[in-house]
Amino acid sequence: MAREQPNVGDLLPLLETSDLHQLEEIRGLINEQLSTERGSMLLNGLVDYFLETNSAQAMHILSFSQRHLLDKMNECMTKQACRLPTLTLLGHVIRKQPSWIHKIARYPLLLSLLKCLKTDTDVVVLITGVLVLITLLPMIPQAGKQHLWEYFDIFGRLEVYLIHLHASVYSLFHRLYGMYPCNFVSYLRSHYSMKENMETFEEVVKPMLEHVRIHPELVTGTKDHELDPTRWKKYEIHDIVIECAKVSLDPKEASCEEGYATMPENFYPQNSTCELNSSCGGKDPLWSPSSLCGMATPPSSRGMSPNLELSHSASHLPTGGKGTPASSTPATSSPPPTLSDDFPIISLPANTVQSSPPRKVCSAVMMCSYLFVSLKDAGAAENVSMTLTELSVFMKKQELELQFRTEKEREEAAITEELLKITEDTQELPGLRGFDSPFYHTTETLTGSETTASTSALGLEQSWPFQSGFTPIDHHLHRSPSAPDDEVGKLGMFSPSPCSKTPAPVPYESFFDLALPRAASLFVGQKTSEAVHKVDGEEEGVVSASPLEVLDRLVQQGSDAHDKVLKSCVYVCEACDHVNYIIITTASPGSAPLDELHTLRSQLLLLHNQLLYERYKREQHAVRNRRLLRRIINATALEEQNNAMKDQLNLQSVDILSLRESLQVEQQRYRQLWDDRETVVTRLHSQIRQLQQGRDDYYTKNQELQSKLQECQKRMDELEAELQRANNKVCHTGHLLNQMTVKLSNSESTQQQMSFLNKQLLLLGEAHKLSMQELHHTGTDNTKEAQMLQVSYAKEVETLRQSLLVQGQKLDAAQQRVAELETHLSKKEHLIAEQKKFLEDVKCQAKAELQASDSRYQAQRRITQLLQTELLQLYSRVEMEAPASTATSSPPGGRADPHTLADSRSGWGTHTNEEAASRPSHDSARGNGSTLSPGQPKASNSSKSTANSINGSQDLAPPLLVEPSPSCPHVNPLAPLPPSDAPLTVGSYPSAKSFLGMRARELFRNKSESQCDEEQPPPRLAGLAHGLKTELCVEPPCPGYIVPVSPAPSPIPTPAPAPTPAAATPLTVPTKEPPSEPKHRASSQESPRRKAGAGPGGGRGQGGSARPRQQHLKIMDYNETHHEHS
Amino acid sequence: MADDPQRNFRSAYYEKVGFRGVEEKKSLEILLKDNPLDLEKLSTFSQRFPLPSMYRIHVWKVLLGILPPHSDSHNLVGGYRKEQYQDILEALEVMRYINAATPSTHVYLRMFQLESQVLPRCSETTAPDEENEDFLSISRAMEEIVDDPIDCYWLIKCFVNQFHTKFGDSLPHLPKSLEHYLSQEEPRLLNHLKNTGALAQLPYGLWFRRCFAGCLPESSLQRVWDKVISGSCKILVFVALEILLSYKIMLMGINRPEGVVKFLCNIPQENTDAIVTKAIDLWHKYCGTPMHAV
Repeated sequence: MAREQPNVGDLLPLLETSDLHQLEEIRGLINEQLSTERGSMLLNGLVDYFLETNSAQAMHILSFSQRHLLDKMNECMTKQACRLPTLTLLGHVIRKQPSWIHKIARYPLLLSLLKCLKTDTDVVVLITGVLVLITLLPMIPQAGKQHLWEYFDIFGRLEVYLIHLHASVYSLFHRLYGMYPCNFVSYLRSHYSMKENMETFEEVVKPMLEHVRIHPELVTGTKDHELDPTRWKKYEIHDIVIECAKVSLDPKEASCEEGYATMPENFYPQNSTCELNSSCGGKDPLWSPSSLCGMATPPSSRGMSPNLELSHSASHLPTGGKGTPASSTPATSSPPPTLSDDFPIISLPANTVQSSPPRKVCSAVMMCSYLFVSLKDAGAAENVSMTLTELSVFMKKQELELQFRTEKEREEAAITEELLKITEDTQELPGLRGFDSPFYHTTETLTGSETTASTSALGLEQSWPFQSGFTPIDHHLHRSPSAPDDEVGKLGMFSPSPCSKTPAPVPYESFFDLALPRAASLFVGQKTSEAVHKVDGEEEGVVSASPLEVLDRLVQQGSDAHDKVLKSCVYVCEACDHVNYIIITTASPGSAPLDELHTLRSQLLLLHNQLLYERYKREQHAVRNRRLLRRIINATALEEQNNAMKDQLNLQSVDILSLRESLQVEQQRYRQLWDDRETVVTRLHSQIRQLQQGRDDYYTKNQELQSKLQECQKRMDELEAELQRANNKVCHTGHLLNQMTVKLSNSESTQQQMSFLNKQLLLLGEAHKLSMQELHHTGTDNTKEAQMLQVSYAKEVETLRQSLLVQGQKLDAAQQRVAELETHLSKKEHLIAEQKKFLEDVKCQAKAELQASDSRYQAQRRITQLLQTELLQLYSRVEMEAPASTATSSPPGGRADPHTLADSRSGWGTHTNEEAASRPSHDSARGNGSTLSPGQPKASNSSKSTANSINGSQDLAPPLLVEPSPSCPHVNPLAPLPPSDAPLTVGSYPSAKSFLGMRARELFRNKSESQCDEEQPPPRLAGLAHGLKTELCVEPPCPGYIVPVSPAPSPIPTPAPAPTPAAATPLTVPTKEPPSEPKHRASSQESPRRKAGAGPGGGRGQGGSARPRQQHLKIMDYNETHHEHS
Repeated sequence: MADDPQRNFRSAYYEKVGFRGVEEKKSLEILLKDNPLDLEKLSTFSQRFPLPSMYRIHVWKVLLGILPPHSDSHNLVGGYRKEQYQDILEALEVMRYINAATPSTHVYLRMFQLESQVLPRCSETTAPDEENEDFLSISRAMEEIVDDPIDCYWLIKCFVNQFHTKFGDSLPHLPKSLEHYLSQEEPRLLNHLKNTGALAQLPYGLWFRRCFAGCLPESSLQRVWDKVISGSCKILVFVALEILLSYKIMLMGINRPEGVVKFLCNIPQENTDAIVTKAIDLWHKYCGTPMHAV
């Protein structure tokens, strides 16, 4: 290693060799060393070498190593002298986009870069650094927050005193705004809210802000979200670049990609005007977009693409057929070699542009719009510029077209004029012809598809771009064969675009040689500068130009001056001086001309850096384009696939059709077969039916035969039975015969025995005779008698025994009977007990019911009492209210009362006329002011009269008696009466003869009869009436209520109606007393009230006595029942 | 009951396992099938088991004597009761003691007064006194339990009458008894109540005279009243005791006797069922489960 080290170190200068082979070897060697080496010696050497010589080779090699390089560069950054080359190297490295580039954020190099940007004052270093930073930013989007603020600080720091710097700051602005809108805006807000920065804001930042649209992230995003690494993960570097470009309104920064294709019309023309005027001097409107290509503005560059691509297709495809993606891809993928070889002039734009077929439409449209706009602007200088800017595109479409035409005429005339002046290189013509004519052809062939595509793509703009944009081209191209001079002119106009870049130094020196139409470019440049001066005067106030434009313009001026010098055959150095001078005069007027050379060099460096940056941007676009192209290829492939599938579908549908037909045929055949089958089936069915009939016939016959057979069998059976019977008979007779023979033999033997017995009998008779003779001889014996007696005794015993048996049986029967009766008895007892229980039950039930009804009755009684109280109260009130009226009426009433009393007494005494008695009662009632209803039962007359009589005697009392107090009973007017009346009660009942009596009987017969047995209710009723009276100190009207009830008990004594002489006594008491009186005596108990109440008790005590007695009876019942139970 | 053949032989085990009231409804139905009804058995049943709500009113009516034990005369007696109710009602209406706007509890009060002959004169009707308030709160509770106004009135009337006749004498001793049981269950609380002086001021009227009407929600109250109607006023003591025990913590936290009274008069209505259940258990524990013999 150490041995080799110097070798390699020595090799470094060899990198500059011109021998390609050797160079390759050396590079390989160095790379090998780099990859194997651990230390950083070689690397450092390389870097040093690069710093010394600015060697492109060294740079190339260096951009592949990483860490040590970064360290080394960081080291170099600290040295003031090395800073610029280091930055250049860094820029190179970054633009190479090595795979490790994202790590750079972690190295101190970034920090030192930022620090350098913050501290350095050298403009060149700053610009280079800023450009590096701008390039670097999309590669490390997820940088930390502190970095972000440092970026912003850098942005804020870079005071713009140079146009270059301004341009780069402008780019930085775009980058930062595009990547971190929220943070950036907040930074701007904080930074420029300070007063000392206000001026800078007005001058620098505000114009920049005019060139950006509002970033969507400002609405949706947050500061933190912007810094979120995940947000950046889905983006590639070029995506970020495009994203940044999207928010830019500056056509130089902006992208025309998706969504932004339609640039705002009122903005666009102005920019393009400047563009035009600066680059082309408004001379050639047709090709002005192509001149913009050089500035790498997407729309214009794309404007170039179809031409370029078509030129290829034209050259490679003899038919000049459709620009299918497939055919165009090679052209896009390999532009550099072809361009550099075949079309040197177009090579630069072609490099910048990665054309893609689908863009054709878009770019064509863009181009057209450019054309249109440029024409418009060209015209603007002459007559209609003011109106055009104001009028809307659609309104003025026709007008514009007209204008366009006329302008065009003029322009073309001007072009031809100019062309005469231009010394041109004929070398380019063939290529250009070949470029133009296929374009014509292809446009012809493509028009159909393009129009449709463009209509869909452009939406609103669908009609005019093609009318106003394409027709001129057509027109122009139509003319092209006939007027080739025009083409040359066009090409001449086309050439300035690379020239606008040519001021950039080193790498494009080779192109300088190739840039043949120098004279033309010089001419144009002159024109441009003139136009710039003109336009500057016009435009300055209108809109603040983009810094890039300013730079462009400056460069243009520079190149212009340079060209002028060239034209006058001055050396480049002088031109540079000139440019320098211009730059210095415009940009930094304060700088002394002494170090012009130095400044010039720095300017060159700056421009180079700018160029490199722009190239880098272009590369990013290229990368993006490649990706998009890939998508298009995929899309078309899918389309193809789709078509193929459609074809397949068609084929299959045809198949289906044929299959359907065959299916129909098959179905028909099947139907026929089915019909055949049907007929066969029906035939077979009929056959079956016939056969079945035949079978049925046979079946019936068979049955008949079977029945016959059965009959025969039956007959056979019968015959057999007869036969058996006969056999039986035969057997029987045989048997009988046998028996007979046996009997016969028996009888024969018996006959023999009989004869033998007869013989014996004879012998015995003879023996008897002999014994008789003997008996007579011996005499009679007592033994026989004794025997006889014995026999008779035995017989007697037998009979006695018999009777004993009978007696025992009788006893048993009797005992059984007794038991039976006993069970019967117990049953009866049980029954009785049950009955008793049942009775008890019923009693309980009745008692409960009675209790319920009693409680009802009690309630009723209470109600009545209350009602009476109420009534009394009402009466008292009435009397209180009308004392005057009573005063007049009551005395007569009072006087009348005795009369009535007398009447009633006499009436009662004679039992004659009750009618007479009733009237006074009414009178008295009226006299009392009572509302006694006249419909009162007549039966009550008697009692009423008595009541009245009572009232009469008490005439003055009523007002005092209004209040029913418990003490009232003691003042009861009845008090003196009862004792005397008591015995007379019996006769109190109205005579049966009297009308009243009969009536009462009729009324109460049923009740009384039914209640006669109970004997209880009557006294209770009386008691009620009485109780009421006594307790509530009933007023005269009260009897009216009670009396109808009071007769009820009277029927009881009816069996013994004793019309006593005392019948004439006041009837009040008798009516109540008769029923109670007998019971009074019957009940041994006296109510305590009676004892206490003495006299009044007669009335009250009855009620009281009646009830207790009843209760007593009840209690007795209970006791009995309880006793029974217990 | 236990040897009733109709009864499920498992019933004895149900209770051991913890299922209460599985067989009770059935046995009550058997009891109610008797004719005449055995009041003692019914009251024993009511003391031992909770009454199924579908039979509660019927059993109450029987126990309170509104319906006689003979089911044959139920209709007749029911008719009597109804008539009596209507008669009284009409009378009161006629006399303008009441009108359509009078709340039913006041109607019941007037009717009760009329029947017990203490109805003041129309012009002298005064604000209901303590006794009337007791009646009113009982009738309010009863009204919630019973739907039919006639039944309701009769139940109130008979409940109040029975309560006063049966337990009127023992009522004054209940606070002492409560103190006794409280000293056995929770002497700390008793001491606390004694110390704060709240013991004398406990709402005895609400508990013992109104039988918790207005204190417990009706669902719990009727279970307490089951026991009261079936002849035990001791249950009141245990319900009160259980209330004290349940809210022991809160009561311990209250130092002022007014606060205690206020809290006890408005105890939370949430877990009163549990309180009553516990009270009944406690009652069974101290007084034993009533068996057939009374």
